[in-house]
Amino acid sequence: MLRVIHVTKKFGELKAVNDLSFEVKAGQIFGIAGPNGAGKSTLYNLITGFYSFNGTIEFDGRNISGMPPFRIAKAGIARTFQIPQTFPSLTVQKAISVGSRFGAAGGLDSAHVNDVIQFVDLDNERTQNTGLLNLLGKKKLMIGAALATKPKILMLDEPMAGCNATEIRSLMDLIAKINHDLKITIIIIEHFMKVLTELTEELLIIESGAKICQGDPLEVVNDPQVIACYLGEPDAKRK
Amino acid sequence: MRLKHMAIIIGVAYGIMALLPLLVGDIRFLMNILIMCLIWAVVASCWDVMMGFAGIFSFGQVAFFVMGAYCSGILAIEHHVTPVLSILIAGLFTAGMGVLVGLPCLRLAGPYVALVTFGVHMALQPTLRGEIGIALGSGGSVGLLTIPPINIFGYSFSSANIVPTFYLTLLVSLACALVIMFVIKSYWGVAFLALKDSQDFAMSLGISAFKYKLMVFALTSFLTGIIGAYYGHFYGVLSFRMLDLDLFSILMVMMLVGGLGHYPGSIIGAFLVVAGSELMAPLGAYRAVTMGALVVILVLALPNGVMGFFLKRASDRAPSG
Repeated sequence: MLRVIHVTKKFGELKAVNDLSFEVKAGQIFGIAGPNGAGKSTLYNLITGFYSFNGTIEFDGRNISGMPPFRIAKAGIARTFQIPQTFPSLTVQKAISVGSRFGAAGGLDSAHVNDVIQFVDLDNERTQNTGLLNLLGKKKLMIGAALATKPKILMLDEPMAGCNATEIRSLMDLIAKINHDLKITIIIIEHFMKVLTELTEELLIIESGAKICQGDPLEVVNDPQVIACYLGEPDAKRK
Repeated sequence: MRLKHMAIIIGVAYGIMALLPLLVGDIRFLMNILIMCLIWAVVASCWDVMMGFAGIFSFGQVAFFVMGAYCSGILAIEHHVTPVLSILIAGLFTAGMGVLVGLPCLRLAGPYVALVTFGVHMALQPTLRGEIGIALGSGGSVGLLTIPPINIFGYSFSSANIVPTFYLTLLVSLACALVIMFVIKSYWGVAFLALKDSQDFAMSLGISAFKYKLMVFALTSFLTGIIGAYYGHFYGVLSFRMLDLDLFSILMVMMLVGGLGHYPGSIIGAFLVVAGSELMAPLGAYRAVTMGALVVILVLALPNGVMGFFLKRASDRAPSG
């Protein structure tokens, strides 16, 4: 469904993403992990059109490289941001309907907006300004607005960051439900390995913008190279 | 604010305005002030759409106003275009200039947009005074002195027929106010707000920043150009002196008094500031100082302007939840 082919992104001399290739299949929950600064968020910004790059990204067989973000959104790729983004000037209902009005094929679909608000459990906050939501609420709002665009792929950027155990559990349930009930393919960047091993079917580990390992999450997390990139060399001598 | 509330406030403000000539009658001096109120209300509102709603810190509003005024004036004097048509052409011309100024601003962040747009403002005065301006018919440092009044079906709307001219101004100003209201409450307005709040999030939901930001520039400069052109035909004379900082700062004060991003606050702000300024006329040389002090106090006491204050009172009174 989504193919990233030999993609490279340089910021000056720094290669934030280095000749990276992988493929996400329809219906999957696909995990991406790696140490801080590995290029995960940059990769998201490349896929969703925020930065230019070298290489090719194909979505549903169509080359989307070089397309501006709003076109990629309309094509069916929705995303959330690591630092929660909301529209403090708008109410929850209005903010979610932005996704429907501008991002969904066919324009504003009020019934769908209502369904989404119920789905992400923001019904009681419907008329509240989005700036007043708590952290979990803001995250749900971002997911809701993204869902309102009727995406084929939802890309989540560290959705659990800053959440406590209960909130993580409720977000995990929500993500599984989006994938299972709404049949939306999901790509998730996350640091909590437990979240990744429990949720994802395939896991990609990147470091310094390059692929370290890809495959079944349980096998990937035990790969010596992956352990090395997170914890350092196992035979490093203690002084 | 809901569309209904916005419409009511605009209705009441313009309704009171419409009744005032019945009280003050044919006193030309007062009618002139009321007409200026109506004109500044539009300029301040356009500026508010730009800054308060779209969050674009443009300082080019007065420049667009003057461009519209000069464009229509030159068309009428030099090319004998009938004023109503020349006003429309001036609006389109200014909208085009707005898009031209907007294009480089799309790639710039807040303070740099202010610099570019204020640069346009600063560059306009020497252009109008200099050889380019004279070649176009701006009248150089003399300005335009013989702009014909608006003439509809043989009826001339000039200061000789001040009351009918007032009502025409009221209609034009109200039409502009309603256009702004409907744009703000439409999904265009939602797109402006979304881009102001978080451009990345807005773009990721399918909003084209390019399209909607240019639309803000086109719309606000179109309306500002129209009302600028109208001003020229009402006043009859134009000078590049309008680009001095007096008008610029008084318009900004109107916007702040009304409440930035609290449309239709800027309309109320325009009425209040003009009224206040005229009431302080007996203070003579101390007027500007007093006005400045009042603005400082007002901004500190009511950071969201008059409209923000009333909205807060209303929401405090409403049951929470």
